Amino acid sequence: MRLPVAVDAMGGDFAPDQIVAGALEADRLGIPVVLVGPENLEGAGHLEVIPASEVIAMDEDPAYGVRRKKDSTLVRAAEAVRDGRACAMISAGNTGATMASALLRMGRVRGVNRPAIATPIPVPGGTHTVLLDAGANTEVQAEWLVQFALMGSVYSRHRYGIANPRVGLLSIGEEPGKGDTLRKDAFELLAGARGIDFIGNVEGRDVMSDSVDVVVTDGFTGNVVLKTLEGGMKTLVKALMAAFASKEEYKVHADALLPALFPLYETVDPEYTGGAILLGVDGVCIISHGSSSSRAIVNGIKVASEMVERNMVDEIRQAISQA
Amino acid sequence: MPAETHVVDGPLDRQAIFHIVRDQLVDILEIDPSSISEGQSFKDDLNADSLALVELVDALEEELSERTVGFRIEDEDLADLKTVRDAVDFVYAHVMAHGSGR
Repeated sequence: MRLPVAVDAMGGDFAPDQIVAGALEADRLGIPVVLVGPENLEGAGHLEVIPASEVIAMDEDPAYGVRRKKDSTLVRAAEAVRDGRACAMISAGNTGATMASALLRMGRVRGVNRPAIATPIPVPGGTHTVLLDAGANTEVQAEWLVQFALMGSVYSRHRYGIANPRVGLLSIGEEPGKGDTLRKDAFELLAGARGIDFIGNVEGRDVMSDSVDVVVTDGFTGNVVLKTLEGGMKTLVKALMAAFASKEEYKVHADALLPALFPLYETVDPEYTGGAILLGVDGVCIISHGSSSSRAIVNGIKVASEMVERNMVDEIRQAISQA
Repeated sequence: MPAETHVVDGPLDRQAIFHIVRDQLVDILEIDPSSISEGQSFKDDLNADSLALVELVDALEEELSERTVGFRIEDEDLADLKTVRDAVDFVYAHVMAHGSGR
């Protein structure tokens, strides 16, 4: 009997309706789920609800929220994983609070200095690049980046089936020695580390290319890269659509072409990536976009379930201990 | 694992409190219990950073909430906890003021 994925019913801009809808759909697809929310949660149907009377708001201080709202959905979800009632947790709510809940209740995998948020970056025509840290740690130490490389490689292997993921250190030039002190120190450590296929420095423009599988950086830079790409792609798609609609003659041809673009659009649409994952905590924790619809939730639940089945956390534990 | 509660039987005296703090530090910092003594500085001697301290106070709150009423360590208090002794004193002062459950 498989353990369910614990779904934070109250996290996200469209909670609880879209979240509950996503959970019900996942259940229909055969993935066991359990909701975490108020006892009188509407629309849950036959799904079990782990009661949680408090919600940590999107704009609340994460650490303070987790420590003072001990009956919040996020804390209860993380406790469910810790206590073996659930195999994973997913939330589209306050990202910092999701991390803090996971950290303070599930705990770190032994030996991990800091967990990192790993986010898939679409590579049209290729396999997604895993970018980490995408925002958990604003400032990092060089040793942590080596751990990010190890954890990111495990994730890339299990999520995208890449046997030997190529790891690049995000910097401002390809040549070794480029970048700030942190990058220079990290380069040396990564080059000498076991269990990592380190290909050297990569630049921002390589993140969406097929030349690297795992891109390692600090949380500040990673978050800037992520938001820049998201915004850039959105802007481009909008501009493309506007161009197609700008003249009647274009519209006619556009109708014929659009079907060719839909698969591409799905590739870059965050709704389909299955969310980001917090690597380095002792359990699977999926962090979904705040604007997640039920579709994004279903996809996130699928990823959570898959990573549990593939024993991703145990593999991370092994990789860290052998480093 | 933070989930473990280190049940210390008997009264919550200063020695018992030290053991609770020490055992949490062993879990969080992944170090040997014999390497922890009261005089040690979290930052300089034990290499415990701000995250480890948050983990420590959260674990202490969870564990001690069962033994003594209303035990909280506010974030402002964290700045005053520089050594293991500071943490033990802080908890002990609360226990003396509010009593312990056993």
